[in-house]
Amino acid sequence: MARAVRSGTRVDTVLLVACCAVALLATVLPLNLREAIAGGLRRTVVAPLVTLQQQAERGRSAFLSREATTSRLDSVALRNMQLERLETENERLRAVLGLARELQWGFVSAEALRIADIGEEQSRTLTVGSRAGVEAKTPVIAPEGLVGMVRTVDPNSSIAILWTHTDFAASAMSADRSAYGIVYPHLSEAGRGENTPPERYLLELRGVAFRSALKPGTSIVTSGLGGVYPAGIPIGTVLGELRTSEGWARTYLIRPAVRPPDVSSVIVLLPKRIEGQSLDRVWRSTVSADSAARRIAAAGDSLARRAAADSVRGVEAAAARRAADSVGRLAPRDSTPAVPRPAGAPATGRPAATDSARRAQPRPDTTRPARPGVVPNGGRP
Amino acid sequence: MSWTRSARAIIAFALLVLLHYTLRPLLGWRTPVDFLVIAVLLSAVRVRPGAAALIGFCTGLVADSLTPSAFGAGALAMTAVGATASWLKAVFFADNVVLHGFFFFVGKWAFDIVYVSAERRMHGVELATQLLLWSPLSAALTAVAGVILLLMLRPVLEPQAA
Repeated sequence: MARAVRSGTRVDTVLLVACCAVALLATVLPLNLREAIAGGLRRTVVAPLVTLQQQAERGRSAFLSREATTSRLDSVALRNMQLERLETENERLRAVLGLARELQWGFVSAEALRIADIGEEQSRTLTVGSRAGVEAKTPVIAPEGLVGMVRTVDPNSSIAILWTHTDFAASAMSADRSAYGIVYPHLSEAGRGENTPPERYLLELRGVAFRSALKPGTSIVTSGLGGVYPAGIPIGTVLGELRTSEGWARTYLIRPAVRPPDVSSVIVLLPKRIEGQSLDRVWRSTVSADSAARRIAAAGDSLARRAAADSVRGVEAAAARRAADSVGRLAPRDSTPAVPRPAGAPATGRPAATDSARRAQPRPDTTRPARPGVVPNGGRP
Repeated sequence: MSWTRSARAIIAFALLVLLHYTLRPLLGWRTPVDFLVIAVLLSAVRVRPGAAALIGFCTGLVADSLTPSAFGAGALAMTAVGATASWLKAVFFADNVVLHGFFFFVGKWAFDIVYVSAERRMHGVELATQLLLWSPLSAALTAVAGVILLLMLRPVLEPQAA
């Protein structure tokens, strides 16, 4: 019994001394050897523990950074909301730019600011005045069509009434000129009372000859009669006929082309542009004012499209030069569609200069879709 | 020690090692709880000093594999702590929770002293601050955690006789 205890004590001592010796030896090993042993342990026995530790540390980092992450998400969401508003504004400005390109002259562009006073919801303050040539009773238009009329002019600003204003009236006609009348804001029966607000977001075309029946969807434009609004500005489309007590004329309900909440950037036509000038050319298709408005809005993209077209033309020019290099001077009638050399490109003196198939400079109207055939190498990357 | 008790002790040991590599980094305290020391101490009091030294050595080596610059220091410290704990238990230790807490405190502090000395990385004020401030704090926290764990694991480590 005593021998067993002594033997056990001796084994304990040996184990203790051996462990201590090995541990001490490990502390004085060269660094590369220590790293090798530690790496071996990490890759085998300790690997599950290392994985657990890494996941725990990752969890802690995620927990600590949750507030920063939430703040970043909030910032991104806020910027996204602002981006959406900016995109809408950008589209609107492009549309106005497209309208300005079509008008070419005799106008000033302006911002239409809401008037905060009660009772002035149907008016807007314009950021241009008499110094810019604006006068009273000049039309205010937007890419979609007629917005209203300038009523009061100051040197640097002016006040315009929208078509929703009770004082608004415009001589109008159907797009095919088959019916004429006067457009007023539609004040519903409820709105004619003292305490009930009128329904202001529709128009009425009154005084249409009884023989002139208009179908729903017919476009209504300004007629140019009266001298305030030039002919051809879209007003809206017919929704249906209103029953009135007048037996000698028809009245139609019109869905306006311009929504008052959308009125932010507008164009004011100057008097010299109004005199005897029709705007039919601006909204070319008087049959479909809506499509014309869309076309004008699309024309606003011309800046971006022109840049894209310039880059395509550059690629085309390079392709044409390569083709000219390969064919050399043995091909006097080059069938490869050549393109004009972009500005700034070096003159090569190649046969492209004598290419009879050279295209004319495209018109500024870039609403035409890009022709796939002009992409070099058949559109292959 | 019967096989059942051995198995229970091994499970408790494994659980504490798992806590060391999961709960400790998750808490990330400046004075961390050393679950490995608790595991070695709880194992050491149930085995002979030689086996306790071996358990401490292996546990320390595992811990050292993650700190190659101080490789061997943890093994040395754990060996010393394990063997000493086993010897002290055999000599005069009583099964008392408060004494166990003190045991954990002294064990952790001793481990830190041996470890820092063997590591030979700190000097002067830094060494003194570590050994006289942070190590006692960490040892105290380890003692508290050890007592709590001991109470929680008591049904596993020392089941009541039917």
